[in-house]
Amino acid sequence: MIDLVEVFERAEIGPLTSETDYYMKRYVPKLSEIIARHGIKWDKNTIINTDDDLTDRVFQAAVDLLAEAGAYCPETNRVMQFTRDEILTACAQCPTETTFGEGRERKVMRGRRPDTTDDRPWVHVGGGIYTTDEQVFMDTVEKMASFNIVDSVSVPSILHIRGTDARVRSPQEILAACKTVRLAREGIRRSGRAGLPIINGISAASQPASMFAASYPDFGLRPSDGFLIDFLSELVVGYEALQKVAFYNSLSANIGSTSTPLFGGYAGGAEGVAVTATCYMIMGALIFRGSYHYNAPLHSKLHLSSTRPLIWAIAMSNAAIGRNMGYPMVNLPYLGGGSGTKQYHYEMACYMLAVVSSGGNVFSGHPAMAVQSDSLVPDDHKFHAEMGLAAAKLTRAEAEPLAQKLYPLFGDKLKDPDKGFTFQEVYDAKTKRIVNDEYRKAMDDVRTELGAMGLEVPVS
Amino acid sequence: MGHEELFAQLKQAIIDQDEDAVLSSVNTALDAGVEPKTIIDQGLLPGLNVIGEQFECEDIFLPELMQAALAFQAAMSVLEPKIKESGNEGPKKGKIVLGTVKGDLHSIGKNILKLLYETSGFDVWDLGIDVDLFKFIDKAKEVDADVIAISALLTTTLVGQRDVIEALKDQGTRDRYKIIIGGGATTQVWADTIGADGWAGTAYEAVNLTTKLVS
Repeated sequence: MIDLVEVFERAEIGPLTSETDYYMKRYVPKLSEIIARHGIKWDKNTIINTDDDLTDRVFQAAVDLLAEAGAYCPETNRVMQFTRDEILTACAQCPTETTFGEGRERKVMRGRRPDTTDDRPWVHVGGGIYTTDEQVFMDTVEKMASFNIVDSVSVPSILHIRGTDARVRSPQEILAACKTVRLAREGIRRSGRAGLPIINGISAASQPASMFAASYPDFGLRPSDGFLIDFLSELVVGYEALQKVAFYNSLSANIGSTSTPLFGGYAGGAEGVAVTATCYMIMGALIFRGSYHYNAPLHSKLHLSSTRPLIWAIAMSNAAIGRNMGYPMVNLPYLGGGSGTKQYHYEMACYMLAVVSSGGNVFSGHPAMAVQSDSLVPDDHKFHAEMGLAAAKLTRAEAEPLAQKLYPLFGDKLKDPDKGFTFQEVYDAKTKRIVNDEYRKAMDDVRTELGAMGLEVPVS
Repeated sequence: MGHEELFAQLKQAIIDQDEDAVLSSVNTALDAGVEPKTIIDQGLLPGLNVIGEQFECEDIFLPELMQAALAFQAAMSVLEPKIKESGNEGPKKGKIVLGTVKGDLHSIGKNILKLLYETSGFDVWDLGIDVDLFKFIDKAKEVDADVIAISALLTTTLVGQRDVIEALKDQGTRDRYKIIIGGGATTQVWADTIGADGWAGTAYEAVNLTTKLVS
């Protein structure tokens, strides 16, 4: 694989072009041409693709897209170009397993192949949702970490300093990022699993300075945690991202390459999102030297990832990478339903069936498009992890009819999703036990309904 | 070819996002003596309405929307000088100053909105991303804007929307403009909190909201 400094140099030597021209004269026409070249077509009746030939064509299309369109660096206004050989070498040499955590919690996340039914996928829970109160933040993290099936956590964000939200790039943002890490590590310690990794480092940091500051070892993060570095949509590699790449590679820390291809944006529809999402994973290994990938395609208008074409595209990208590359992956779902709602559970079950049977690891998701404060309710995430482990026992062909049964239960609600609960509305403040009967009943009912459909979700 | 047939051809060329065909039809119509404003009202805008509906229904996506907008802009570059020559310039629907707040580098939602505004007959000044709050205000003052449309995707950048409103109040010019906000992290509750005139969850909603606010 070409070395890291050479990767950075590609942002200095490629063809000069404006961002608009990059999109309209390179990315958009190339993507369209490549989709046609490889005959990639989403069958609108399908949620989970089972055609391996189509899957492999999506992978080839992703390689072609990076080789022919390149990535774009807005700071230098240059296209970062890579040869097909360089790309294929990166695919062949990318990590296929990554070690996270310390002590008893030190474990290996592996890249999975679709239709693998005899392994135990990595189980990741949580999300960077805004939290209004430090006690709620600590209780949320402690409770999520205490679930025995959990291998890693994403921690919420806590942005306020003395009651006021830190603004981006402010000194308060650095304090908020450091505080988030300190509180998160303390919450994890209280669960009795001090070595458990945090792999969404760092939820309260929007800029490199905040990330670097909060990475100072005294605050509690370690190279065996995971540090997220984002691509900007679509195929944009900014200097801020490359600064983080330089820093975290210098620490030999685990890097989570992260991408959010937008359905309805420059990527277009299901086929474009599938190819672009797959392309980002290749870019994650090649450009960011990632240890794992956070795959988070999103609907540009609804701001969620549980529409039928998106679930197809997300599952497809998992299968394409699983069959051809083996890069460890988790998928970050944004769901419409609020915490504790049946809609949220149905969306999550459908998503898990699709992505886990297609080769993804297990990752619970954001409720309410991640915009409702304090909506990270840990027992939702335990339930959803249990769904993921149940889905891991199924092939794509076995998962597809179940997904088809589930989709009608929430598909029509995505434009006006059900509102849910907050942490405070679900748990007793002192005992941290569930005291909301409506919340508990919805979960129990959905577990029973899933069993009746043929997806037994045992309580862990 | 009759005028109705010409308008249908022009409408279809916009729907097909075919810039060459749009320009050819525009020139044919001008040669036939059709008024430029009639060409816009009966050929271009009906085509753009279909494009807008297709975009809303997810039959087409941003690349097709951009191609249609480029074809429309090419036609307008031919028609606008002739409208000016005739001294028959009608009023635009409104003037919009648009941008993503300081510290926020997200552009796609804003770009979609810009296209929908332009193709809906608004004049748009797109300030881009990472925009200083006083740039919004200075540009609005300079062009005598009707609406300032401010996007923010991140929770940490939302305050940039509040600050624009606060600065306008400090300058005593808040009532001169309608302020609408949008972007991934925004909500109606946030719009109400900061005293915006409206919030839109999608670009299409933003255009409808703006049309109501300026009418």
